[in-house]
Amino acid sequence: MIIFITTLCPLIASALLTAMPFSDFKASPADIEFFKRKVRPLLIDMCVRCHGAEKQKSDLRLDTVAGIRKGGASGEALVVPTKPETSLLLRVVKHAEGVSNMPPEGKLTDSEIADLTNWIKRGAPFPATVNPEPNPSSHWSFRAVRIPALPNVKNVKWSASDLDRFILAKLESAGLKPATLADKRTLIRRATFDLTGLPPTPEDVEAFLKDQSPNAFAKVVDRLLASPAYGERWGRHWLDVARYADSNGLDENVAHGNAWRYRDYVIKSFNDDKPYDRFLTEQIAGDLLPSSNPNKRNELLIATGFLALGPKVLAEPDEKKMELDIVDEQVDTLGRTMLGLTLGCARCHDHKFDPISIHDYYGLAGVFASTKTMEHFKKVAKWHENSLATAEESEKIAEYEAQTVKLKAYIKELTGKADEASKAELKKRQAELVDRDKNAPVLPSAMGATEGTPTDIPLLRRGNHLTPGALVARRFPIILAGEKQPPLPKDASGRFELANWIASTENPLTARVIVNRVWRWHFGSGLVRSVDNFGLLGEKPSHPELLDWLASHFVKDGWSLKKLHRRIMLSSTYQMSGTDNPKAALIDPENRLLWRANIRRLEAEAIRDSLLAVSGLLDRKPGGPALTHVNNRGYLFDHTSKDLTTYTSDRRSVYLPVIRNNLYDVFQLFDAPDAAVLNGDRSTTTVATQSLFFMNSPLAMRSSDALTDRVFEIAKLSDSERVHSLFALALGREPEPEEIERILSAIRTFEKEFSDAGSDPVTRQRKSWSAVCQAVLASSEFIYIK
Amino acid sequence: MHMPSRRELLSESALGFGYLALSDLLAQSHAADEGKPPIPKQAKDPHFQPRAKRVIFLFMKGGPSHLDTFDPKPLLDRDDGKPYPGERPRVVFAKTGNLLKSPWKFKKYGDCGSPVSELFPNVAQCVDDICFVHSLHGTNPAHGGAAMKLHTGSDNFIRPSMGAWVSYGLGTENANLPSFITVCPTLAHGGVNNWGSAFLPAATQGVPIGNASTPVEQAKVRYIENPRLSTSAQRKQLDLIGDLNRGHLARTGPDAALEGRIDSFELAFRMQSTMPEAEDISKETAATQKLYGLDDPTTAPFGKQCLLARRFAERGVRFVQVTHSDSAVQWDQHGNLRKGHSKNALEVDKPIAGLLKDLKSRGLLKDTLVLWGGEFGRTPTVEGGGNDGRDHNPEGFTIWMAGGGLKGGLRYGATDDYGWYAAENKVHIHDLHATILALLGLDHERLTFKHAGRDFRLTDVHGRVVNDLFA
Repeated sequence: MIIFITTLCPLIASALLTAMPFSDFKASPADIEFFKRKVRPLLIDMCVRCHGAEKQKSDLRLDTVAGIRKGGASGEALVVPTKPETSLLLRVVKHAEGVSNMPPEGKLTDSEIADLTNWIKRGAPFPATVNPEPNPSSHWSFRAVRIPALPNVKNVKWSASDLDRFILAKLESAGLKPATLADKRTLIRRATFDLTGLPPTPEDVEAFLKDQSPNAFAKVVDRLLASPAYGERWGRHWLDVARYADSNGLDENVAHGNAWRYRDYVIKSFNDDKPYDRFLTEQIAGDLLPSSNPNKRNELLIATGFLALGPKVLAEPDEKKMELDIVDEQVDTLGRTMLGLTLGCARCHDHKFDPISIHDYYGLAGVFASTKTMEHFKKVAKWHENSLATAEESEKIAEYEAQTVKLKAYIKELTGKADEASKAELKKRQAELVDRDKNAPVLPSAMGATEGTPTDIPLLRRGNHLTPGALVARRFPIILAGEKQPPLPKDASGRFELANWIASTENPLTARVIVNRVWRWHFGSGLVRSVDNFGLLGEKPSHPELLDWLASHFVKDGWSLKKLHRRIMLSSTYQMSGTDNPKAALIDPENRLLWRANIRRLEAEAIRDSLLAVSGLLDRKPGGPALTHVNNRGYLFDHTSKDLTTYTSDRRSVYLPVIRNNLYDVFQLFDAPDAAVLNGDRSTTTVATQSLFFMNSPLAMRSSDALTDRVFEIAKLSDSERVHSLFALALGREPEPEEIERILSAIRTFEKEFSDAGSDPVTRQRKSWSAVCQAVLASSEFIYIK
Repeated sequence: MHMPSRRELLSESALGFGYLALSDLLAQSHAADEGKPPIPKQAKDPHFQPRAKRVIFLFMKGGPSHLDTFDPKPLLDRDDGKPYPGERPRVVFAKTGNLLKSPWKFKKYGDCGSPVSELFPNVAQCVDDICFVHSLHGTNPAHGGAAMKLHTGSDNFIRPSMGAWVSYGLGTENANLPSFITVCPTLAHGGVNNWGSAFLPAATQGVPIGNASTPVEQAKVRYIENPRLSTSAQRKQLDLIGDLNRGHLARTGPDAALEGRIDSFELAFRMQSTMPEAEDISKETAATQKLYGLDDPTTAPFGKQCLLARRFAERGVRFVQVTHSDSAVQWDQHGNLRKGHSKNALEVDKPIAGLLKDLKSRGLLKDTLVLWGGEFGRTPTVEGGGNDGRDHNPEGFTIWMAGGGLKGGLRYGATDDYGWYAAENKVHIHDLHATILALLGLDHERLTFKHAGRDFRLTDVHGRVVNDLFA
């Protein structure tokens, strides 16, 4: 029971510990100790849920000295020092007559009541020394990034790169040794999955094994970084934190028919190694940046899709609420994606934990309220799209529309005329109009932002637009941007300034947040594990100096992500094996210090792509629209529940439709988020329905059949050679002798199983091999990276 | 006294859950391997003594009219055709005209004398087991927002569904079946979010069986059948997978996820037989089938859904949702009220009464909470020109519950004289959630999960347990 109560309480506990001012009573250390050990935990467990910071039932607080002294609504003294019998607190917990009996869940035990009595007898002492309330502004992530000194280490040979010294120093001080380096097969498999989301081909593996040069692995890394698959893999990571989707989700699940342009923009940006500061600037304020040519201009407009892609309650009848909910979604997403800050928490009240005030929130919300991402808010509301048309295309459609107007005028003229010729003509022209409307050219456009009407918005008490307070001037959070900020322009939203402020070397969060994300996507867990929350409730970094070292070098390298990958991957830290070490596992069971490589399961997309890749089915065609069965803004499925979206394409998963409310079931199964909220730290679950997928799904069976065909491509192979080929294709390694034996015995078993079916020997053989291939594809080794 | 740190608490209460469940699963499968009966050990203790162990939620998609079913309004009859004298809500979904009396007659039933309209003659026979809440109210007058509010407590954010919270809080009593099953859910208006787990562990999410456009006979868990291998051949294939995975585990060293994965194949293999067995209603007696209306094509589809719900419930599934929706928004009679509501009620009345009677005769009703309702009620005023439609009304409507430690025959709360607003003993949707959790032995303020920097609850920062409903 206590477990559940106290999930809310440690915070209050800390307030109780730290916020206690001096007591009037002279208390001995033993008295204080008594309070800390006996009384405080009791108050926390039994009382402060209703009488604390969150709630003050009967106007009573028991988490501050002032509150205990003041007592509750009755006005009677709660605690009379040295006089338990007259203290209301004691009568209440003893369930005396005429007072309410507390706690409502049930009477305290006799020993608990005795402790309270004892405490009051001692004079109700509180701690005489108090830890000062920690100043939230001194929280580590709000301080400027500093370039730390390189730590000293003993094993100089292992720490080939500076990065390694930060890891090794901590390992050495914990008395731990790093694992040995991974073998080359493991390494290339790990690197290829990490950078491209695909397994290495047998040829890639062979080439790497043959390459004895000292920079053989660097060459592999460079090759992978140059592959278009890199952008498809890392672009997908970014799409996770941009809550990318091809449909709105929520109530009116209509098609984001042009969202794919943003997806392709992201992939291209990663492949081009666009400086990260520029990448962010474009997504916040691309429409406000100068551009040299129409293509570049369109790219910048598409980038602002980031702001527009959120889920919206499009049939919200309260239009003002809808508008503010959309702004809120933008503030929240921007904060968590780029700054690792849960700004959305300050919509209804000052942030409970971070030094973000409700004024900070509405200062920032004003920037988005001054930005146009919606055409209108009437249900069903319509989001804004920026036109990407060339002058020529625009002219053409203007011409087309002009002709339609003429036609309509002509039809009006004809309407009502009684003669047969006119009637016939009218009929013909009406049909022509229907035709014209149907075939009207659609101009290319992209979801995105443009400037709205610059306006400051009022603070909304409890986040409710029906109770507005005073206007809040648009500005950035004080904790990060300071009290004295240059005012935002009156004649613009302030998005341009916001972009520059976020994508700045001065911003203590931006670079730290992204290098930590990259670390997370390489190692399975961030240096700061709460990758989307760097606030006070986020986790502290395991290696704060390394985080700053990476962030500062990243900025120095011109915010280049590819250089960051190289820096990480060419370290000994990255290249460690996953070898178990029982001693280390005891000291550091979560591997926070990185004494070995983490064992990681592939993400949903990589699982599907790998099945298609090893079986030779993968279609590598890049880019383009995701939805083919529904027009932009059309309903994915409206009131009917018929899902018309198909996933039969064999293209990479990043190009499949992402449908909110009804995500592709294979993705759902393997922990892909619903794409309505950003998520930089996907979870990995193991549930039985995943096993059903490997056992029974058409995709698993089709891949097994195709893989069988590949294994049989060379007709003259012996069965054991076929096992070699299967292992090389699927697992990138040689089979062990006992594995060959086990597979061959399985083949024999299946041949017998299928013999009753009366099929011919060739079919039987293929069926048997396909069953074996399926088992290999279902094996843990296929979807886990060491 | 040791004060657990925040992190310790989390690992015990939240993150640890997965491992807990996992180790229990392992324990159970080993027991099964040795030919012993499986011990359902995945259940978790509630916060306090529960009144109900499981929930069956009969969701009437679209918004059935409380005024035409369970909440008669004499003044509405009297003032039919006159303007509504009160103030209309600030935000309405559609424009409506004057007052419209119910086309259906009401009668009092049972010892309690609760009134029920002609639409539900069979449910009317069960009123002494039913606890009506006539004063429910929400906030959102659109289907999407209201459906999500009812299912997740939030109409504008993605939050875990009620069933996922219950699974998270109590686990399952049968590790061979999912803890939360939703039968033929609608994919519209929130879709998967209405049974999703959002940020809760994935194992808590609802497992859908078909959807609203699937005939119930075809509704199955995805990939539950193998189209090409015999059970014996598949058993051999699983043996091979097991050997490969154990070899891999031996090379990698101890790892909970890898161990769990080995077991999950065995569980999946068993589910292939437990699921179809649970779904096989052919062994039910003719009398039982008749009770649910399976002998009549009008009532058979929803009857089968209800019968499935009972079969899942008795097999230890914690939360079963049954949705009544066709490929339109079934109960959404902006027009055609007479025809639409008559048809809808006819389809569900007998099956629902059958379910209540069946649960009762099997002794299951006492610890099964049956919840009936839509995402909102309907307006007392007419919509459209035909004097035959009503608009959405989230301001005051009726839901009812039965079983699970509730006072049968109770009518709690009331709407105003015309039935537009909840007026007496108002129960907000958050309060309903708090009450349902309380019936299950869960304190809605203590059932929390940390996400994005704070603790989340089904009831957000609201919710009041309506103790008056408890027997």
